[in-house]
Amino acid sequence: MRIAVWWKPALPGMKAIRNVGAAGNARWSRIPYTIQVALVLLVVGAATLLYGDDYVTAVGVSVLTYGMLGLGLTIVVGYAGLLDLGYAAFFAIGAYTCAILTTDFHASFWVTLPFSVAFAGIAGTLLGYPTLRLRSDYLAIVTLGFGEIVRVMFQNWDYVGGPNGVWNIPAPSLFGKELYSQPDFFVIGLVLVGIALVFGRNLAYSRLGRGWLALREDEFAAEAVGVPTLRVKLLAYTMGGMWAGLAGAFFASRLSAINPTSFSFVLSSTILILIVIGGLGSLNGVLLGSIVVVALPEFLRFLQTTRFLFYAVALVVLMLFRPQGLWPDVRRKVDPWLGLEGHSLAAFPGHRQGGAARIGDDEPILTIDRLTHSFGGLKALDGLSLEIRRGAIFSIIGPNGAGKTTVFNCVTGIYRPREGSIRFLGRSLVGSTPHRVVALGMARTFQGIRLFKQMAVYENVMTGLYSRQRAPAWQSLLHLPAERHEERQALLEARFWLSFVGLESDAGKLASELSYADQRRLEIARALAAGPQLLLLDEPAAGMNPTEKLELVLMVRRIRALGITVVLIDHDMGLVMKVSDRVAVLDQGKVIAEGAPAEIQESQRVIDAYLGREADDELDDDETFSGLGA
Amino acid sequence: MDTFFQYTVNGLTAGSFYALVALGYTIIYGIIRLINFAHGDLTMVGAFVGWTVLVPFALNRLPVGVAIVLALVIAMAFCSLVNLAILQFAYKPLLKKSMLAIMITALGMSILLQNSALLIFGSGVDAYPDLVSTAGFMVANIRVTFAQAAFVLFSGLLMLVLYLFVRYTTLGIAMRALAIDHEATRLMGIDVDRVIQIGFLLGAVLAAASGVMIGLYYGQITYFLGFLIGLRAFTAAVLGGIGNIPGAMVGGVVIGLLESYCAGYLSGAWQDVFVFAVLIIVLIVRPTGILGERVAERM
Repeated sequence: MRIAVWWKPALPGMKAIRNVGAAGNARWSRIPYTIQVALVLLVVGAATLLYGDDYVTAVGVSVLTYGMLGLGLTIVVGYAGLLDLGYAAFFAIGAYTCAILTTDFHASFWVTLPFSVAFAGIAGTLLGYPTLRLRSDYLAIVTLGFGEIVRVMFQNWDYVGGPNGVWNIPAPSLFGKELYSQPDFFVIGLVLVGIALVFGRNLAYSRLGRGWLALREDEFAAEAVGVPTLRVKLLAYTMGGMWAGLAGAFFASRLSAINPTSFSFVLSSTILILIVIGGLGSLNGVLLGSIVVVALPEFLRFLQTTRFLFYAVALVVLMLFRPQGLWPDVRRKVDPWLGLEGHSLAAFPGHRQGGAARIGDDEPILTIDRLTHSFGGLKALDGLSLEIRRGAIFSIIGPNGAGKTTVFNCVTGIYRPREGSIRFLGRSLVGSTPHRVVALGMARTFQGIRLFKQMAVYENVMTGLYSRQRAPAWQSLLHLPAERHEERQALLEARFWLSFVGLESDAGKLASELSYADQRRLEIARALAAGPQLLLLDEPAAGMNPTEKLELVLMVRRIRALGITVVLIDHDMGLVMKVSDRVAVLDQGKVIAEGAPAEIQESQRVIDAYLGREADDELDDDETFSGLGA
Repeated sequence: MDTFFQYTVNGLTAGSFYALVALGYTIIYGIIRLINFAHGDLTMVGAFVGWTVLVPFALNRLPVGVAIVLALVIAMAFCSLVNLAILQFAYKPLLKKSMLAIMITALGMSILLQNSALLIFGSGVDAYPDLVSTAGFMVANIRVTFAQAAFVLFSGLLMLVLYLFVRYTTLGIAMRALAIDHEATRLMGIDVDRVIQIGFLLGAVLAAASGVMIGLYYGQITYFLGFLIGLRAFTAAVLGGIGNIPGAMVGGVVIGLLESYCAGYLSGAWQDVFVFAVLIIVLIVRPTGILGERVAERM
């Protein structure tokens, strides 16, 4: 079940109620997030401190500790989609750093804090770097193993007390006041959670956050639209680790004694449980989730020995009834263009290299020379050579298995060809990674649609802008003016591209909610947002009806009019012949004919290639024949 | 050199227990892509059922062989029922929804099984009846107990049967098909739900066998046993290449040997660190595990 689909009222009677709710929501959502967080935490804090006893406050501190950990793990698991079962290790590193520095070196808590954060962050980098290329399930065991390694190391390390841990960790003091009581820690915890919420929110709606979400939704597509996936993963680990380090220092100074048993797999799994219960990637959900995992066992105390039994049952029941979590994060937006009213589409910031729209300029933009690539024993490309000139609409056709998509994959850096050279704008592309190819000015769409389904339509397009945005992670975290400005520009440009493909009014929907043809359009908009000089379209007309195909022809021409060279793979001969300046025919990994559409239609070799093998089993495909004028 | 072979024998025995449990992880992962955290605890359940059956028999001095076979059979049957119930109530409703949600219910079932055992059997260590004699034989200066030989052989037999089942029977082929493509398998007219049930059944039988043998071999069990065994078995499954049946067997034996050598030559306290360090290094060099195949992605 979906919650609140604003633009599709189910019943007329519901409308009034919904509008009231929406109006209330709108008023609340106009308040900046920072103020929202401050208000809520202030109310919760005041209520707890005024009406709660020591027990309630202590439970509150636990909720906040878990909340902090959950907010950190949300970056890794919720945003970036990297399964982490050893998160407690970073917490342990932060806690032990604080404990050792305050006891053995008599440093003040505030001095040790940066060390806790730094060491845990470094641990994140160290864990992340060698394991980045592992698939998610393997990552699960590696992180689990890492968690155990860290725990066992502390357990066997006599300097830090072995199994007994570290005692007499001094309480931190602030402005001369020693902070040792539960209410003191409750207040510190609230402040830290507040900061974490604001940071988390800033990240979620930033360049980096979109990179993470794209990674979670479809790692392969993320890389192919320009997100440097390995780097972004490493950032997730490092930032997640740093936050756990901070929480660890807080935890150590609060308990004044720590030992290895506090940092077991049970803790790691509890944090994972709470973020899934709350709703993956949802900040509010994390707080709700930590209340459930901390307060539920407390609330069940009257059951005594059976309480964890009931806790387990509650957990399972909760998941069965709300697999998406209690407060899921839905990235739908009622009006993504809010605040852009003053800007018209004419104010479009201008295409990066589009100014050099030298249509008809005869210089080659992409030169492929004797490209060879094979899968096992199968030679997909066999000495293929092509030259694509700037400003052309170039089509590649050929029977199934001719190697058309393989050409795209070699050119965009997904495959590394065995032999041959690829030169784009005078640079060699062999051995380049997909995101670098995008940054050089080449974007693509996919044969099977690969959108970031749970992201909003406009966010998909903004993800396409990743390679052109510059804001570093720390600016995103703090949401600084420079970053705001850049985000605004990105939003404006996303709006331009969405209106270019005719999806401006659907911008706030989730990508998965679009119709099939619209999803294809969105993929084109996402690719265009990367500011390409060369656009590769892999079967853009597949599954479209005749009207939609006609629109596509017009769109391809409009793209070319912007100065962008288009290379297109399609099976629809009518479309190919209508739109192309030049056509290359591939068969068995070679170019068997190349020329203007009229020449191709006449070519005996082409007719043979199609009639020879495809005619037998694809009789239903009339256009193959009529289009060829046979 | 003799000590080396002695460690090898010990490691092989422990490794065959891990391999049996690892097979359960790998089968279930193979067919529904779930890391079943409750699986290790199922081994613990098997051990406790075996204990419950064996204690009265041991007291009544019935023939040892009969008692052990009875314990194995009852433990296998009980674990199968438990595992099928878990599948039915905790996993199946979520199968098409969210894998992460299933993983959380699996963690939930793990907590449930552990706490049930804690409630019924207490938090202490329960001594297994001492049915297995320490008698043995010598092979070129290496001492092998009859129990070790019997456990390794029995584990090997179970694995062989499983391997033949998956390789040659119709159900086994259906299971392998399911691991590759759920939808295509369904379209071929195969009752996917039933195949999944068979997978859970096989996993439970192997886990129960392992549990009873662990009890007999080490002589004591605790409600926390499942976590320890599960961790090693899961590691073994990944080391061998998760989803790959011979891989789980190899992985289990390798983990058993590594542990035994580490405990023998270095220190028992660092066993886990050693094993995980090896795992991480293997995965960096071969990201799909020892026998895992590269999964090609269709673009």
